[in-house]
Amino acid sequence: MDNLDLLKKDWKKQEKSIPQLSYDEIYKLIWKRSSSIVKWIFFISIIEFGLGAGLNIFITDDEYWAKLEKYNLTLFSIITYVVSYLITFYFIYKFYKNYRAINATDSAAVLMKTILKVRKTVKYYIGFILISSAFVFIFSIIIVFRTHAMTPEIADPDMAFDWKNWVLFIGGILLLLAVILGVIWLIYTLVYGILLRRLHRNYKELKKLEM
Amino acid sequence: MNKDLEHQFVTNLEQNQNIAHKICRIYTNDQESHNDLFQEITIQLWKAYPKFRGDSKFSTWMYRVALNTAITLYRKKKKSIRTQDYDSVHFKIKTEAYDDTAEQHLKLMYDAIKQLNDIDKALVFLYLEDKNYAEISETLGITEVNARVKMNRVKTKLQNIINP
Repeated sequence: MDNLDLLKKDWKKQEKSIPQLSYDEIYKLIWKRSSSIVKWIFFISIIEFGLGAGLNIFITDDEYWAKLEKYNLTLFSIITYVVSYLITFYFIYKFYKNYRAINATDSAAVLMKTILKVRKTVKYYIGFILISSAFVFIFSIIIVFRTHAMTPEIADPDMAFDWKNWVLFIGGILLLLAVILGVIWLIYTLVYGILLRRLHRNYKELKKLEM
Repeated sequence: MNKDLEHQFVTNLEQNQNIAHKICRIYTNDQESHNDLFQEITIQLWKAYPKFRGDSKFSTWMYRVALNTAITLYRKKKKSIRTQDYDSVHFKIKTEAYDDTAEQHLKLMYDAIKQLNDIDKALVFLYLEDKNYAEISETLGITEVNARVKMNRVKTKLQNIINP
């Protein structure tokens, strides 16, 4: 008889000494708030959506549109917005579908797989945010250049950029871009990393067996 | 949710609450986390209850949802500190030196289980609950052969923790 079988006997004996909750106590519990991982992932992705959309609204005021008009960029911007909103809505739909798919009655392996799939969607969404931020950033720089070239008063020799200034300027901007993207990436990795570390470990544990 | 469903659910859970308590015992180290996990299990069961069709027994269904909660959904509020476990082992060994050896051995076993990972704990739990490999494999989502292999490894692991 091995150790575990000894334990099994004891396990059954202990059954009688387990403290019992009353009907009312259990009834109260079902209305308590859940603190499950899924809920947290959901909250965080909602916040991410909110931040993205909020930033967009904040940037696009009337003045912004007037400027775009001035540089003949209205059509281009509208197309960009339509595309980015379509992509965003696609992600909202995916998020919704993923959360519906999470089902505590699945087997542990299936459930973990579903949750990790949710994370993947979030990952793609963040990727989309990063790429589109980079795109907008680079695009704005191009506009700055064009404006610079189009503005006559800068023909003033004191204000003109020589090649050294341009290198510094572009270098500085690229560095800033890298920092911003890096921060977004870091936040993402930290938040989901902490949240899903244990789950990931458990999933790997089960996965190992399938090989 | 209507009142009937609520009543049905709470009655079912009241009768089967031992399953959840035992899972909490394996997965948590103190009373506070025990209560936390019990609460989360109750919430997850209640959320999943409309999908419970009654084609299996409530208890069978409960094993699955409750274990899923412990392994997958539950977010530990504080990291349980391993050293605390060790301390309590030493403490017990010192103070209960005259205790009967079998009992001491059991305590060591329980403590060894606490050091396993979440999946291994689930296996041990299902084993202690007298579940067969078909049920274990179904709950965890692995094949029966894998469940057997895994169980043997867990036994070795426990053995190594107790007799390093």
